[in-house]
Amino acid sequence: MIAEETLVQELQKEESRAKAFEVLVNTYKERLYWHIRRIVLDHDDTDDVLQNTFIKVYRNIDKFKGDSKLYSWMYRIATNESLTFLKQKSKKLGLSDQELKERMVENLQADVYFEGDEIQLKLQKALATLPDKQKLVFTMKYFQEMKYKDIAVALDTSEGALKASYHLAVKKIETYLKEN
Amino acid sequence: MKKDKKNSFNTPEGYFESFNDRLMDKIKAEEAHENGGIIPKTDGFAVPDGYFDQVESSILSKTSRKEVKVIPLISNRNFYYSVAAIAAIFILIFNITGNPTSEPITFDDLANAEIEAYLENTEFEMTSYEIAAVVSLEEVELNDILVDDLEDDIILEYLDEYVDDIEELNLEYPDYE
Repeated sequence: MIAEETLVQELQKEESRAKAFEVLVNTYKERLYWHIRRIVLDHDDTDDVLQNTFIKVYRNIDKFKGDSKLYSWMYRIATNESLTFLKQKSKKLGLSDQELKERMVENLQADVYFEGDEIQLKLQKALATLPDKQKLVFTMKYFQEMKYKDIAVALDTSEGALKASYHLAVKKIETYLKEN
Repeated sequence: MKKDKKNSFNTPEGYFESFNDRLMDKIKAEEAHENGGIIPKTDGFAVPDGYFDQVESSILSKTSRKEVKVIPLISNRNFYYSVAAIAAIFILIFNITGNPTSEPITFDDLANAEIEAYLENTEFEMTSYEIAAVVSLEEVELNDILVDDLEDDIILEYLDEYVDDIEELNLEYPDYE
């Protein structure tokens, strides 16, 4: 794998951009896919958001200052794109944010690309009850096994606040799973 | 039923064959319980076969659109030169003689339909909320942007139909006390 710094330099130079971008997409497509998928849940929606995310990265690479890791910066774009996508979707369907989340989980039961069993469906129901930030921290830490430091950059918040959110999320999910 | 030669105890069919799998499942379940309590370790999402190979090419095709070569309808260059020459002469004449009635084109000269078509077809990457955030309501009267004046009874009818709770509007009431 190519060093991140070199990759950024190549991305910012006109002549090497196309090649470097190919490497970038290849390196991060799966990680970003799973990050987005855990927010928007549906595969086709994830596909749209993933493509938009990479297009935004491509167009804004000149603005990347290098004061954070490239991949945290891309996570931030992916997170914003996903949340904006959900906002637009709920507006289009005339639903509140919470109603949309509940409907998304209901749709999972008929989704051919969701292979979870009862407990995993329950987990999604529990996640749908959490505020966005707690849900994000939980999935990034628990399923994507990211470090608090990187999550803090991606979500633009402090590590301390994240740790508190994570523990709160775990408690709420456990309680939900026990009660339901 | 499988009989043991030395004693009369039996085991169910396939018991020893499946023992390893069942034992490993149990160990995994116990480990999961110790590590994260009752929260499952995976979340059950799947992707279509070959998705990650295909998504790369669709992203790259969107970011590296090649310029399309335009083939001219009339290939005779002399034609363009003569047209350009005539146009240049006309421009020169108009500039010299001066046309007192010609004024610079202003924003008002644009037809509403053109502005609407432009807004409709141009990607601003701005949501209507973002646009609303930069346009101050104090400067723009609602009736400035509507074709027909908004009569009070239309507003009341709308509110009556779509607003259940007047509190939701977050109106700022003047303090009468």
